[in-house]
Amino acid sequence: MSRRYDSRTTIFSPEGRLYQVEYAMEAIGNAGSAIGILSKDGVVLVGEKKVTSKLLQTSTSTEKMYKIDDHVACAVAGIMSDANILINTARVQAQRYTYAYQEPMPVEQLVQSLCDTKQGYTQFGGLRPFGVSFLFAGWDKNYGFQLYMSDPSGNYGGWKAAAIGANNQAAQSMLKQDYKDDITREEAVQLALKVLSKTMDSTSLTSDKLELAEVFLTPSGNVKYQVCSPDSLSKLLVKYGVTQPAAEAS
Amino acid sequence: MSIFEYNGSALVAMVGKNCFAIASDRRLGVQLQTIATDFKRIYKIHDRLFVGLSGLATDAQTLYQRLVFRHKLYQLREERDMKPETFASLVSAILYEKRFGPYICQPVIAGLGDEDKPFICTMDSIGAKELAKDFVVAGTASESLYGACEAMFKLDMEPEELFETVSQALLASIDRDCLSGWGGHVYVVTPTEIKERILKGRMD
Repeated sequence: MSRRYDSRTTIFSPEGRLYQVEYAMEAIGNAGSAIGILSKDGVVLVGEKKVTSKLLQTSTSTEKMYKIDDHVACAVAGIMSDANILINTARVQAQRYTYAYQEPMPVEQLVQSLCDTKQGYTQFGGLRPFGVSFLFAGWDKNYGFQLYMSDPSGNYGGWKAAAIGANNQAAQSMLKQDYKDDITREEAVQLALKVLSKTMDSTSLTSDKLELAEVFLTPSGNVKYQVCSPDSLSKLLVKYGVTQPAAEAS
Repeated sequence: MSIFEYNGSALVAMVGKNCFAIASDRRLGVQLQTIATDFKRIYKIHDRLFVGLSGLATDAQTLYQRLVFRHKLYQLREERDMKPETFASLVSAILYEKRFGPYICQPVIAGLGDEDKPFICTMDSIGAKELAKDFVVAGTASESLYGACEAMFKLDMEPEELFETVSQALLASIDRDCLSGWGGHVYVVTPTEIKERILKGRMD
């Protein structure tokens, strides 16, 4: 390990690596996981909430899922404060596009634009990269439903199913086994909850440790981003048999 | 010839009992020539907030697009809709930003605030707010509208009566103004529903 090459983001190591970017990805590997699955009639995002204390004042706002525009939402994994900056940037970029072209920003263009911002922090300015990975879920009239994953280096890819955060490799291989191309949104929810329950560290899975959101088309043809309420989520967990009752104290 | 009178417009908003009405004419002209008879001047910001923009049509459209930009970001960050009073302050600030090269636009803002209390206001093209408890008017037909509304307005009208009053006031006033006309477009908004109606007036 060439330690003398890792303190500056803007230089390569002799092996051709950017250490700061890799260290940022390490930070994300310790954060709560998130899974995204693309289905025929929608995109499903599920996230694991790491911060669960009874003292936490939970309002309606979410910890893992954020709406970027009416037709795009994202799940985050990593340093929350970094994520907030990028989410705000993405929101403003989407509105700027709509202001200029009077139509919603295509999902891939939004992802690319945000990734260009992230890339800037790996090449100039001397500032550290953002310690966040995103899963973007959205719909546009050119390509329908889409799922993108992006990381601190500014790389992004379109995926049918993806996982970020803790245990993402285990989750990714599970998704590879069980994903089918013609999966429906309901089956995708089931698969996501099943995979997340297997890769999460905690012993019991309850609705206050998870967040579930879906991007789909309403019967009237509008795109809708909906976060599942804790009650419906509890019902789903029971329905799919992934709730493990808390171990009783003896 | 004033630039404010280039396209022609008539706008009025009126307060009723736990409801409001906002109405406009439908003509878009280029001085004496009529270009369109279905021009939209009133826009919905959210289910309980409407804004009508009179004056130069291009500035009205651009100003509306900028307001959508700001309101969408507000909704995403605050996770709620903007109150009418707040929105009026936003419009005023945006107009004053262009103090020395203004938008040639006079907005009329109408919405339901807290506890379903109706809120209306208008402002001049550089953002001077004018709050009113009964009605506000704007556009080339504003002088006639002031007179008609003053004569016909009553306190605490129910939605149906409010619709009749606003419609009569609007149609009577635009008949006296050669630059507005070709019918009317009226929205009556209560806490539970939005009723949109087109009026047929003198089609000239």
